[in-house]
Amino acid sequence: MSRGGRQAYGALSVLAAGALVLTGCSKGGSDAGDNSKRDQQNAKRQQAAIKFGDAADSTGPASPVPGAKPGGSMEVLQRDSYAHLDPGQIYVNDEMTVSQLIHRGLTGYKATSDDGKQHEVVGDLATDSGTTTDGGKTWKYTLKDGIKFEDGTPITSKDVRQTFERLFAPFINQGPTYIQQWLADTSGTGYRKLLPDGPYKGKHLPDGVLSTPDDKTVVFHFKKPHPDLPYALAMAGYSIVSAKGDTKEKYDKTPVTTGPYKVQTFQSGKSMVLVKNPNWDPKTDPIRHQYVDRFNITFNQQFEASTKALLADSGPDQAGVSFNNQVDAGNLSQVLRDPKLKSRTVSGYQSYVGQMNLNMSKPEMKDIRVRRAIAYALPVTPFVRAYGGTDAMEVAGGLISPTVSGYDPAFDPFGKKKKPAGDPAKAHALLKEAGKLNMKLTFGYINTPEGQQYSTAMAAGLKKAGFNVQRQEIPAETFYDQVSKLNNPYDIFHTAWGADWPSASTVMPPLYDGRQIADGASVYSQINDAHVNSEIDRINTITDPVKSAAEWEKLDKYLLTKVVNEVPTAYYKQTQIAGSKVGGLVFDDVIGGVDPRRLYIK
Amino acid sequence: MLRFLVRRIIGAVVILFLLSIVTFVLFFGVPRDPALLMCGKTCNPDSIANIHHVLGLDKPITEQYWIFLHNLVAGSSQFAQGPCPAPCFGYSYHTNDPVWNTLMDRLPTTVSLTLGAAVCFLIVGLGTGLLAAWRRGTMVDKTATAGAMVVSSLQIYFLGPLALAILVYQTHWFDKPAYNNFTGDPLTWFTGLIIPWVVLSTIFAAQYTRMARSAMIEQLQEEHVRTARAKGMSRQYVFFRYAWRGSLIPIVTIFGIDLGSLLGGAIITEYTFGLPGLGQLAVQSVFFSDLPLLLGVMLFAATMILLFNIVVDAAYAFIDPRVRLS
Amino acid sequence: MSTPLLSVRDLHVSFKTEDGVVRAVDGLSFDLERGRTLGIVGESGSGKSVTNLTVLGLHNPMFTTVEGEILLDGRELTTARESELEKLRGNKVAMIFQDPLTALSPYYTVGRQIAEPYMKHNGASKKDAWERAVEMLGKVGIPNPRQRAKDYPHQFSGGMRQRAMIAMALVCDPDLLIADEPTTALDVTVQAQILDLLKDLQQEFGSGIIFITHDLGVIADMADDIMVMYAGGAVERGTTEEVLRSPQHPYTWGLLNSMPRLDSDPGAQLSPIPGTPPSLLNPPSGCRFHPRCTFQDRVAGTGRCTTERPAIGSGRASACHLSADQKRTIFIEEIKPRLG
Repeated sequence: MSRGGRQAYGALSVLAAGALVLTGCSKGGSDAGDNSKRDQQNAKRQQAAIKFGDAADSTGPASPVPGAKPGGSMEVLQRDSYAHLDPGQIYVNDEMTVSQLIHRGLTGYKATSDDGKQHEVVGDLATDSGTTTDGGKTWKYTLKDGIKFEDGTPITSKDVRQTFERLFAPFINQGPTYIQQWLADTSGTGYRKLLPDGPYKGKHLPDGVLSTPDDKTVVFHFKKPHPDLPYALAMAGYSIVSAKGDTKEKYDKTPVTTGPYKVQTFQSGKSMVLVKNPNWDPKTDPIRHQYVDRFNITFNQQFEASTKALLADSGPDQAGVSFNNQVDAGNLSQVLRDPKLKSRTVSGYQSYVGQMNLNMSKPEMKDIRVRRAIAYALPVTPFVRAYGGTDAMEVAGGLISPTVSGYDPAFDPFGKKKKPAGDPAKAHALLKEAGKLNMKLTFGYINTPEGQQYSTAMAAGLKKAGFNVQRQEIPAETFYDQVSKLNNPYDIFHTAWGADWPSASTVMPPLYDGRQIADGASVYSQINDAHVNSEIDRINTITDPVKSAAEWEKLDKYLLTKVVNEVPTAYYKQTQIAGSKVGGLVFDDVIGGVDPRRLYIK
Repeated sequence: MLRFLVRRIIGAVVILFLLSIVTFVLFFGVPRDPALLMCGKTCNPDSIANIHHVLGLDKPITEQYWIFLHNLVAGSSQFAQGPCPAPCFGYSYHTNDPVWNTLMDRLPTTVSLTLGAAVCFLIVGLGTGLLAAWRRGTMVDKTATAGAMVVSSLQIYFLGPLALAILVYQTHWFDKPAYNNFTGDPLTWFTGLIIPWVVLSTIFAAQYTRMARSAMIEQLQEEHVRTARAKGMSRQYVFFRYAWRGSLIPIVTIFGIDLGSLLGGAIITEYTFGLPGLGQLAVQSVFFSDLPLLLGVMLFAATMILLFNIVVDAAYAFIDPRVRLS
Repeated sequence: MSTPLLSVRDLHVSFKTEDGVVRAVDGLSFDLERGRTLGIVGESGSGKSVTNLTVLGLHNPMFTTVEGEILLDGRELTTARESELEKLRGNKVAMIFQDPLTALSPYYTVGRQIAEPYMKHNGASKKDAWERAVEMLGKVGIPNPRQRAKDYPHQFSGGMRQRAMIAMALVCDPDLLIADEPTTALDVTVQAQILDLLKDLQQEFGSGIIFITHDLGVIADMADDIMVMYAGGAVERGTTEEVLRSPQHPYTWGLLNSMPRLDSDPGAQLSPIPGTPPSLLNPPSGCRFHPRCTFQDRVAGTGRCTTERPAIGSGRASACHLSADQKRTIFIEEIKPRLG
């Protein structure tokens, strides 16, 4: 999948607010091409842990951005128009980014350093990141004083109840479903049975599930421990909706906002204007700022166009930025190597990990020696090159992204960091040992220009190792539909997946839990390994995020050494550019891009 | 003439009707499910079924088609997103906007782009073509012919970014392309569209140059043109009254087709310059498997093409009395 | 004797084409007196139409080279300026084309097309010109001319179109009328009517007529004099009587031989001229007709026909190396009996 490939490839490419995480990735791509240095930096990420903040951490206002001053209009060039403004429907990157300006949730990520690398989860509308006394089964939140919707109505526990109950209504079908499933203690969409019509026909979630004893207090009751709740609540999809202003389907166009900005005008597919929300009180908000008077967002700006416009740095584009557009592949290396542009560009990781899936349901793939042979033979250089080289893609070792806790920079099971072009000799030996030389291998590839390019070279690499590779083209529009079919004809195919929060709990279960295997499910490799399944259940109940990160890391190693159902290819990176009058330009690891809350006009 | 028009309009309606059926069948025939694009990371059969139900995709295809036709003619109050007066194409799956409003919202962009470009390429293209035909065989003709040949082999996706790079970003001679409402500010409407007009009309102008030149040369060899010369009519008179009149037929035919298809959406131009027109909408509807939007855009574009076909046929009658009187 | 109306002297017309230079007219001379009709006969490609377009200056100057003299009333036309030619065309010299359907513009009414040259050359008002067009349509025998003037050519029958064409040609009372196969596209009864009309109108207007045709029957009816053309040059000329009664050139004999006659025996064989008309890109040496001529072995002096181009004099003359006696005896003894 291409990065941010939302337009063509839909929600499966949904990249959630990726990563929390700590020190690392230097700005401006000066680390390009230098694996060992980068590994050291990434290693530093591992040493820090994520803090769940207390009341003191959660008190506003946010510490000011150095040198920031208020005022001015900022031009924002975006490729895709926002399809959704209703928090319950928000799950794609672009909408999650703009949510940071207009919506608030019970919790949120507070940047604790000015470089966007260090964060903690704090109470946003709530006074802290949540308290649990029973290992994550019961979570209590208290709302702050002085919090209001844009229309001036105070935000109460009634609005919080409405926010969560409406997620059960049929029309909410595009946002995250973690908390609904936890509340109903079920997987899949079975949770909807708990409140089939949402709150709209007089029924409500029982107090045993969600209780709101007074205007300020909200308590979540889960059957099983869910230590990740503070992360989950920080997702844009769980931002608070106004009970009074809930217009169901129409809320998507006219949300009642809580953040520092409100929507003045929105012309779907054309433009959006955000202006200051006078009912937002900075004293209640430890996360956001309100420097810019106005954001003028223009849609339909392709990557190439926005890059050129911002590079040109003239007229209103001097105060121009893009929240989500990257520097296009064609201009990338020039932009990163121009010292004059250094202060105008930011780079960082997205939470995606590219992986070649080995289809475990195929009889000929049952032999682990065959799978190992593929893993050693597969060249990843073509993939990196197809997407713009090491400025855009970093050769991957394990399945956990550098933005996620549990990443081990030293883990490189198939030696890809040293031999990104593959090890055909070793692969050949393995294949010979298995007696499968010249075995047929059906490679389903996405028919984008990039897919064409890397699949040809990858197939050549596999051929060298003794595979009889048959490339089969899959239309980009239906790629994910095709490869998530149970009886698809492909032995190997490449997908990418991003974490919803900086824990592998949003990576491992959806991708490798064999009990989830179904048509359309994301267990692409169709792995069903008893040890993996039981480990997923076990790790999911560990309340200490540092401990669970270590366990996920172990599972990653188990998968790649004992099962070999995937071959990791690359960690996705992103570079963005802004006009010369834009201040506060920071690549935020959690947002996975420019942090819109810190922006000001010089 | 009236009967002819009525007949053509009925024919067009039948074509649109058939086209809507074909679009419907194709939509359900391809292995693409809008629900898969909407259900997020937690896709599973249940969530897909839920989305199908919300979108009404779980109903039999014939019933869905009937509902579509009914809404189109009579409107509907059944949509959760709000009322939908006729002609009701429903609400977009992806954006939840009423499709008709979206179409009408995008139309001014496409109309501005198309008509502005059409004025440019007609004036420049026909002017150059006529000049080349008038000066046939001279350096002027050879330059124009060769130039038109080169230019018409260019593509918008090449010329567009080139024009942007040179005329906008490097020299700052022109404004960055953008669509501003004409009624809001005619000046920014104009300046924002100059580059798209120039790029779009350049390629068309080259084609019209070639077309006008060859049509005129062909007409100038017609016997009735020779007769007019033999009567002592001046070269100018014969050129503009006799040859031009005959050249109008192929030119009007192609112009009608071009205008109709451009008004249905100048896809590449709109994409290149980030103009929010119907072409972008078409691309978007396909990307998102957005059936209501797809039907809306398809039928609207087809209507434009059919409409201009009828206009062209009617224009023949004005140009050529043989058509008018037969 | 006054100067002839039209005098063509040693005219050469050649076109540049991709394949080379086509010598369409190659050393042609003839005269036409006022009020007389000259019939020009020949196969297609013999240069008869080109000659007449050149008279009007309607050849494309880009690709055509014209040498020689064309004198209209003593005025040189080959070197005349375009604006002068424009004043002559449709005014002093008018032309009738073969196919009136394609020769009339489909886009304008018949009346307008007739009125146009009248306005241009006589400076008449639109209304006067229109009246004149109606009058002319009446003269050429169009019933209800006031009404029909408003019609378009496609609403006319073939014969009526040619009448309209004649009306258009005569609207400015030209001194010279060039009729290029004016009846070829018409059926036989209409053909006769049109020919009668032309004769009547010639009486009335007193124009000189050049009548181009490949049909000797028509020419017998229309022309005072005949010039037979072959491969860009004249091969025989004389009065109609002379040429038809005692033709002197093997090509003319061939033409007569290949022509069906109403009064001849239906079973009689037509004998077409053997061979094909020569390529004008690369014309035969000597006598242009020699490759198709069955009489060349009778010419005194070996190979003269293939090396020496026979000259043609003025008045009654033919371009053939046969002696005058030979021509007479061959015709009487060998050709005439076959013509019946």
